[in-house]
Amino acid sequence: MTGVTKVNYLESAPEPPLTTNSVGTDQRRPAAELPLAGIRVVDLTVVWSGPGATALLGDLGAEVIRLEGNNRMSRQASARVTRESFRASGYHGGTYPDRTPEPRPYDRTALFAWHARNKLSACCNLETPEGRQAALDLLAVSDVLVENNSNGTLEKLGLGHELLLQHNPRLVIARMPPMGMTGPMSNYLGYGPNFNSLVGIAAMDGYEGEPPDSAGENYHMDEAAPAGLAFAVLAALWDRENTGSGGLIEFSQAEAVMAEVGEFVIDAQLNDRAPAIRGNTDPHLLQDVFETARDDRWVVLSIRDDRDWAALTDAMAGLGEPDPADRRVLTDGNSAEGRRLHSRRLRDEIARWVRTRTADQVVEQLQAVGVPAGEVMAEDRLLADEHLAAREWFVSRSHPAVGRHRFPGHPWRADGFDLAFGRPLPSFGEDNDYVYTEVLGYPAERYQDLKRRKLVTDEQFA
Amino acid sequence: MSERPGVLDGVRVLDLSRWIAGEYATKLFGDFGAQVIKVEKPGEGSHTRRWGPFPGDRPDPERSALFLHLNTNKRSIALDLTDPADREVLLQLVSGADAVVESFRPGALERLDLGPEVLLRQNPRLVITRISAFGQTGPRAGHEATGIVLQATGGPMNATGGAGRPPQRKPGNLEHYTIGRTAGEATMAGLFAARRNGSGSVIDVSGQEVLLSGADRRASYLMSHAFSGWIPPRGVRSAHRFGTTFTGPFPAADGYVMLYVTTKDFWNRLVRLVGGDDEAFLAKYLDREALGEDWDEFDAHVRGWFAPRGKIEIMERGEAARIPITALLEVPEVLAHPHFRERGAFVRADHPVAGALEYTGAPWRMAGGFALLRTAPLLNGDGADIRAELAAGSPPPTRWRLSTSQPLANCDER
Repeated sequence: MTGVTKVNYLESAPEPPLTTNSVGTDQRRPAAELPLAGIRVVDLTVVWSGPGATALLGDLGAEVIRLEGNNRMSRQASARVTRESFRASGYHGGTYPDRTPEPRPYDRTALFAWHARNKLSACCNLETPEGRQAALDLLAVSDVLVENNSNGTLEKLGLGHELLLQHNPRLVIARMPPMGMTGPMSNYLGYGPNFNSLVGIAAMDGYEGEPPDSAGENYHMDEAAPAGLAFAVLAALWDRENTGSGGLIEFSQAEAVMAEVGEFVIDAQLNDRAPAIRGNTDPHLLQDVFETARDDRWVVLSIRDDRDWAALTDAMAGLGEPDPADRRVLTDGNSAEGRRLHSRRLRDEIARWVRTRTADQVVEQLQAVGVPAGEVMAEDRLLADEHLAAREWFVSRSHPAVGRHRFPGHPWRADGFDLAFGRPLPSFGEDNDYVYTEVLGYPAERYQDLKRRKLVTDEQFA
Repeated sequence: MSERPGVLDGVRVLDLSRWIAGEYATKLFGDFGAQVIKVEKPGEGSHTRRWGPFPGDRPDPERSALFLHLNTNKRSIALDLTDPADREVLLQLVSGADAVVESFRPGALERLDLGPEVLLRQNPRLVITRISAFGQTGPRAGHEATGIVLQATGGPMNATGGAGRPPQRKPGNLEHYTIGRTAGEATMAGLFAARRNGSGSVIDVSGQEVLLSGADRRASYLMSHAFSGWIPPRGVRSAHRFGTTFTGPFPAADGYVMLYVTTKDFWNRLVRLVGGDDEAFLAKYLDREALGEDWDEFDAHVRGWFAPRGKIEIMERGEAARIPITALLEVPEVLAHPHFRERGAFVRADHPVAGALEYTGAPWRMAGGFALLRTAPLLNGDGADIRAELAAGSPPPTRWRLSTSQPLANCDER
């Protein structure tokens, strides 16, 4: 067994769930196998899009092994982070349990925990000869490699995909350069917002009628990449059954997300125009976000057609006698054309009505008559939400590094096969023994030597 | 064009969806070689046919940019699911399919007596992917939703937008694509499960849960809240970071640029770029851990440096100095950009009604990958062919799953 079963991470179940990989010494096989049981993924990803992708492969039962250097930050948190450094910078610290990074900040950040479910962690410094050899040895007995480093990083480490495929022709190698591996901008620096801006998304993002302003934490490319990458890896593994060969997946994150403005790409050719900045409005719908009776609690609602409008105005009228002026204003909304022409005024009327109601009242009342409406949900509301509770979406898990918490659930569920959700995260190097001795089969003296020389550790230095 | 069959050649998918998420999920299959049949409502067709944008903004179900984009590499048959004869055709198609993707409201298929039990009786290895706003179960399963409702209830919308201003959604139809891509991934997973276990599955894709679990900070925000009670505020970019960050769009002479300085190295390079020879400026701002009361002054300096320069020039200067600064390109500029032209990011194809157009091409590249083999179908454009194939008893011409009885190879077996 891997380290996954050392601790019982479930709330109460006596046995571990069907979550551990079936590679290695565990020969128990569930009646219905997880879709990727027996597939081993080497995870050299860094932030967001990459680890998000490997999390999905782990959900499907793949054994995902993160190779992490102890001399560089692989978890977006430095070993040197302390409460004192928070105070010095004014940082709120809210991404750490109890706002406390110590003693091992790299095991304790939410930025790691959101994607680290089911993953294994082995320490490996790729830029050392020993680390590179361990990576090569692991990749020789693995099915998939996923990495989202800058272009050329693997080549500098002597781990370019051509060499790896010579080593193991069955390996599926997924590389995620933001702008692709070729082309004049392929080596440009940037984060999600930068690449969103290069594919047309940022230029259409902003409040209605204002200059573009990406909506706060709108990275979108990070949101788009994981499921696409997982689909690509699945397609490659599917194909491998026919061809016997793995190969390269060049996953340009910018081009992957460009499909999401595909209708505007066609529109640009049909009508020689670029999409406008519409904020919370929509060309086909009368919609917006409205503040409720409680400050900074907001609801959204959309009017799709005359029926929705009639239902909404009935609901509004039921709350008291609108004065004659109001009535005239509202009749302007009786047709699609009227709702388009008088959108601003109609939304002002809706806003006045919503401001007298609670979010629950608005949503319940409008949903009862079939009008799309929902609350803008803050995190505390979601953790207390009865719908998500009824669907048992959050999953309670514990790990010694962080304690017991409710973790976000899977993006989807299946009746017919299971998804993995075992250990919520690995401590740094928690699976060193398993990876070096069981998977790689290193003799004890070789492994001990690596440990003695601090090339393999269960703590991070950077 | 690919010189070999697409990686998903032989996989058969029925698309019963009418909106972006479902159509994008099945487009992924079609674009990578699967045989996708789109089942449409007679005379009306998919909802995306009515959405546009259209040439000259004149509605035409065969010229909707949204439909043309989302339905490449699919065939279309019109079936009235309440008509007994058409229903029989659907069940025959189900018999020969590997997966069905649907996005009716929860309960709608059941009311047509085409619920999962009926479909699985017809084909026990079928993968049935059901896309809905809030899932097939739970107190909100029957709620109505649009994109902004999904963003409000699932996405990080509470934390997006300006400080003290209303929450702001993401633009376009992005949330639907995210949900559709995830539904495609789920369907692929179902195919693997069927291949391994010999049995089908019913997959429940709740749009809300897809967004809640997403990498656009929502899942990490939920995790943070569980860890510490923190609620990320609006108006703070990179609220999860600490140290010197200086980010956002800035006006250039001819548009805007996106600056994303989040590390000390980037910070110092930015200070040098906009500070030039100004020794006092450099001395004041280099190596800073955080900006305080002098934020406005620094911000004004950066704006002053950007304002007279073109967005491309700023991007090139930034890149030369290794600072993340990019130009905000409008969609027509993206279509014309040398980087994407050189990479062949768009593919041209001729549609019988809409004419020659360029489409977004490969979302990723691999052997046997993306190929645009046919443009979006006319409504019921393949109905006669498909009915004839069924009458001839032609499916299944490619039953990969009967010829591949071994489980997937893994490293133990090599």
